[in-house]
Amino acid sequence: MDQVTESKVIGVATPRIDGPLKVSGSAMYASDHHFPGLLYAWPVCATISNGTIAHLDTAGAEKMPGVVAVYHRENIGKLYRVPPSTGFTLILDEKRPPLEDDTIRYYGQYVAVAVAQTVEQARAAAESVKVTYNKEKPDTGEKLLGTPLTTDKPDEKSKRGDTAAALQAAKVKVDAVYRIPVETHNPIELHASVAVFDGKKYTLYETSQAVVNHRDVMAQMLGVPTEQVQVITRFLGSGFGGKLWPWPHGLLAAACARNLGRPVKLVVSRQMMFESVGHRPAIDQRIQLAADADGKLTAVQQDYVNHTSMLDDYNEGCGEITPFLYSTPNLLVTGGLVRRNVGNPTAMRGPGAVPGLFALESAMDELAIALKMDPVQLRLKNEPALDESLNIPFSSRHMKECLTVGSEKFGWAKRTPEIGSMKRDGLTLGWGMAACSWLAARIETEATVELLQDGSARVACGTQDIGGGTYTVMAQVVSHETGIPVNRVDVVLGDSSLPPGPISGGSWVTASMTPAVLAASQNAGKALVLAAIKSDGSPFKGKKPEDLELVDGTVRLKGQQQGAVPMAEILRIAKVNSVSGTGKSDSTFGAAKPKVSFHSYGAQFAEVTWQPEIARLRVSRVVTVIDAGRILNPRPARNQIEGAVVMGVGMALFEETMYDPRSGAPINNNLADYVVAVNADTPEIDVTFLDYPDYQLNALGARGVGEIGLAGIASAITNAVYHATGVRVRDLPVRIEDLLVPANRTTHLA
Amino acid sequence: MGAAGVATAATAVTPLAVSAAIAETQERTVPQAQAITGTMPVTLKVNGQSHSVQIDPRATLLDTLRETLHLTGTKKGCDHGQCGACTVHINGRRVNSCLTFAGMQQNVEITTIEGLGQPGHLHPMQEAFVEHDGFQCGYCTSGQIMSAVAMVKEPWGTLDSDVKEAMSGNICRCGAYPNIVAAVQAVRRMA
Ligand code: FES
Ligand code: FES
Repeated sequence: MDQVTESKVIGVATPRIDGPLKVSGSAMYASDHHFPGLLYAWPVCATISNGTIAHLDTAGAEKMPGVVAVYHRENIGKLYRVPPSTGFTLILDEKRPPLEDDTIRYYGQYVAVAVAQTVEQARAAAESVKVTYNKEKPDTGEKLLGTPLTTDKPDEKSKRGDTAAALQAAKVKVDAVYRIPVETHNPIELHASVAVFDGKKYTLYETSQAVVNHRDVMAQMLGVPTEQVQVITRFLGSGFGGKLWPWPHGLLAAACARNLGRPVKLVVSRQMMFESVGHRPAIDQRIQLAADADGKLTAVQQDYVNHTSMLDDYNEGCGEITPFLYSTPNLLVTGGLVRRNVGNPTAMRGPGAVPGLFALESAMDELAIALKMDPVQLRLKNEPALDESLNIPFSSRHMKECLTVGSEKFGWAKRTPEIGSMKRDGLTLGWGMAACSWLAARIETEATVELLQDGSARVACGTQDIGGGTYTVMAQVVSHETGIPVNRVDVVLGDSSLPPGPISGGSWVTASMTPAVLAASQNAGKALVLAAIKSDGSPFKGKKPEDLELVDGTVRLKGQQQGAVPMAEILRIAKVNSVSGTGKSDSTFGAAKPKVSFHSYGAQFAEVTWQPEIARLRVSRVVTVIDAGRILNPRPARNQIEGAVVMGVGMALFEETMYDPRSGAPINNNLADYVVAVNADTPEIDVTFLDYPDYQLNALGARGVGEIGLAGIASAITNAVYHATGVRVRDLPVRIEDLLVPANRTTHLA
Repeated sequence: MGAAGVATAATAVTPLAVSAAIAETQERTVPQAQAITGTMPVTLKVNGQSHSVQIDPRATLLDTLRETLHLTGTKKGCDHGQCGACTVHINGRRVNSCLTFAGMQQNVEITTIEGLGQPGHLHPMQEAFVEHDGFQCGYCTSGQIMSAVAMVKEPWGTLDSDVKEAMSGNICRCGAYPNIVAAVQAVRRMA
């Protein structure tokens, strides 16, 4: 497909077309749906994390006012597992259907569900179900490295050269363990499901980042053909990965609707969201770096272990970025899993890369200090010429420019490396930085574009807009190709019955969806040209398709402004309501032998202020430079990066889900005790996009910006904390207690 | 129009085979209408309109708005007064509707996001949120806007840092805070 270089819409800051709906409360999210006869479901959650159900007594609950049913293992009815799949289909993390057996493997596992006429009645009934357990000692142990793995030995993820020998021979070395605690996605929209069953077909209003996969999984688990399930997510209150794959509550809602023949709404409580809808797992990573005296890396080794649940294997993939970020002849990445009594972990914004880069970029900072070298220089020095893990070229990599532009914008040249040496207004300053990267990919996508007689266009794709601005970008692409203004483009998405679109994950919606929409728009244009040359009364009747062109919403003879006819007029002449075209894009994701290495890059610079007198640490300033291909709509793109920086402040300083070792309960299971960054925590944020189109990925040169902004931030902040305080925090988040130790001491894992 | 009305209307325009299926569904979904056991009558004044409804005495104002009055613009993010997504105005002051029993709000003026403005005639704060891209997913947005409109009338200073402090009871997990501050400041400067 021809490269798109010039455009009046692409790359232009465009207000979101769904903005007015969102600011007026009219955008319909899953739990906003209501139907006549709607019932409410409230799950009963296990209060142990290891053991079995001894006795479950629903008699009292069933007699409570308004209660319609209480379901448990014996009366929920048939629910199936999904068959194993080799491709990128039928994905879910927790494969056991809810209520399948009486064994409890994590705190909050559903053991029953009450259904009643009001939400208050359902909740009261659920709380009245009496459950006794045979309780066993749970294992939620935080230490991971060195504890028994699920496999005999760790998996080798990437390898080149002889790392062991190079580490042994090294002049300068870093060897340290970095730890990420459990982090919980906590989108503000609670997970929810409104299930409608008409005796044959299920219509499921879901909080889903992947409606097509969700439909396929639900059909399998309910035991019906796919065409009997439709999944709808018109608006999603974000998800950050937590809403990518179906969770047990959705199946409970659908089963209740099936059993009762009435619509059922189930909204997961904030407390339950710490238990049964996924989290970023706890991760230990040992990083070993070796370098010459002049800072050239000679070896990189990363050994990570993440926790997973008792039944399912979730691998965080922390070595995703390590193999190609820097040039080094010797490299080894290994990964392993350990089982804990926790709900299933899942992808959380920047899975693998975000925790991996916290460790790697912290270690690079430690290496720079050991070398007495500037950390920016150390990274510039180790810039690779190609992707050394696969020996293939990069599609478009501008890491050096990210580093140099970032340095300049931040004022890095003014940095004095001595600990605590920089002051402003009586505060000690810490300056730290980190490099970052995130994958770029296309996955299979189909889209349809229709041009209508009323002068509007309609574009449909079974993808989702989770807040990234997909509605608007789809309209921009159609507008670019057809000349129909953005506000006359009707965008339809978030419905599994539409042409299958990409999951909202991996930051690849834009890269996958836009080429399909562009092709669909072009094909719709061809259909219009056909109407122009075939229809009686058309001034172009009898011409050849190649004689005509579509420019600014009109059909005309090539190169001739005169005699141009609006597209809508052609349709009126042809007496048809609409013409349409479909477009597809193929997948680069998971290619067996890729020829180019597709990634986005960036550099993060952070400033912290430190007041040792009162142990007050704040992140005051972040400069971030992002090389993520061409930015199609700078407004939501900048918003994405800023939001990721905000999340990174939380990751560095606040976020940690804590489990009570006796019960296995996540004890800070609410938004007061699990602290996320609020408005007052937001630093001054300066975002720069380098805006180099990646034409090898698609004709628009677009990659994606959903995740890269979070990559590297936590380490930029902890590196700045070290610079201010002399305390190296390797165990997130940075706690006040960490900073109360004397300077030049490092914190250690227990 | 009740559920029966919907069924009639649907049958009138639907081909035979499909209408049979609908009739079957309606039969299963109709039983409601009569008062739900254990509910009590209340009258709430929301967005200038009086609503007399039956609610569970335990019902929060949030659940009553959403589930009984079907004013779903007000969102639930925590049900514990910790996120601000459910912010509404009671007599012009911002309140977390999840911490408020509906039954105790019968003689007050309740304003929700729907009453503030709708597409085509948005409130200046709603306009400013669109203009400054003060949201991503939009889920916290009703609460942010209701909070912001009330905040403008509260005795805060003029700085960005005042807005950040005043708006810190409204969590935006998408982190659109810089743009939220820009939107609120634009409206404050206009006033
Ligand atoms: S839902 Fe009321 S404050 Fe969160
Ligand atoms: S816009 Fe998503 S939570 Fe604020």
